[in-house]
Amino acid sequence: MQNDRFDEYLDKTVTRQTKAPPDDDAAIERVLKRLGGPLPRQKFPWWQLPNVLLDWQFAPAWPRVAVLAGCAAVGFAIGITGIDRRIEPADTAFAVASNSDLGSIVFEPEALTGARP
Amino acid sequence: MDDSDEALMVRIARGDERAFRTLSARHVPAMLGLARRILGNAADAEDVAQEAMLRVWTHAPRWQPLAAFRTWLTRVTVNLCLDRKRRAPWVALEAAGEIVDPAPGAGEKAEHDERERLVQAAIAELPARQRTAIVLTYGDGMSNAQVAEILDTSVSAVETLLVRGKQNLRRALDSVIDKDE
Repeated sequence: MQNDRFDEYLDKTVTRQTKAPPDDDAAIERVLKRLGGPLPRQKFPWWQLPNVLLDWQFAPAWPRVAVLAGCAAVGFAIGITGIDRRIEPADTAFAVASNSDLGSIVFEPEALTGARP
Repeated sequence: MDDSDEALMVRIARGDERAFRTLSARHVPAMLGLARRILGNAADAEDVAQEAMLRVWTHAPRWQPLAAFRTWLTRVTVNLCLDRKRRAPWVALEAAGEIVDPAPGAGEKAEHDERERLVQAAIAELPARQRTAIVLTYGDGMSNAQVAEILDTSVSAVETLLVRGKQNLRRALDSVIDKDE
C-alpha cells in the first residue's frame, strides 16, 4: 500500500472507529437510575458562606444572641476590674510612698553644693 | 422557562434536583460514549459518566460560566478517564475477534474485519492523552483549540499529540497492512 493511500486509509479508519457509538440505552438507563438516588452535599465557595449558614438553618436566634451578649458583657467587666489580680490593702501604695520617697526627699544632698539638710 | 445548560446550572447551584435530572438526561449519553471510547470498557465508562455528573451537582455552586458547559463537562469526563487509566491498564474487550462467515465474499469481509480490529487494537495501545486527542479530534470533530481547552494544554501541544499518535499508529500498523497488499 502506498504511503498516501495508507495515510488516507488510516485517517478514514481512525475517524470511523473513534466515532461516537450508538447510544447504549440500557447503560444510559442504569447511569440515570443511579443518579436518581440521594445526591451528595454540594460544595459552596467560601464567599457564599452566609447563604450556606442560612441553608443549613444555622441562623442565630435572638435568645442565643442575648446570652452571647450577656457573656461578652460579663467578660468585659471582669477584664476591666482585674479580678485576676492579687487583692492588696487599700493604703499600701501610700505607705510605700511615705516610708521611702518622703525620706529621700528630706535627706537627699543638694545637687550643686552637696550640702545635707 | 430557559432550559439551556447554563440556566439549568444556575438552578442546580440553588439545589434544584429536577434541573439536575434534566441536565443528566441531556448529557449522560454523550459522556458515556466518550468515556467508553477513551477507556475501552463499558463498565468503567458507566462509572465515569456517573461520577462526572455527580461532580456537576457538587461543584455547581462554584461553577463560573467562563466556558460552555459542554466543554467543561467534557473536560471533567476526560480527566476522570485519564485518572482511571493511570490507575488501571487498558483491557481490550473486543480483542477476541469475530467468527468467520462461510458465505460468498466472506474472505474479503474477514480480511476487512481483521484490519479494523488491528487498527482498533493499535488505537487502544496508544498513550492515554494521545488516544484522547485522537478521539476528540477524529471522533467528535473538535478543533485543536477545543481539544486544547479540554486537555488543559496549548494548541501546539495538541498538534504534537496528534502527530505522535498517528506516528505510533503508522508504526504499529505499517508492517501488518503492507504484508496484506
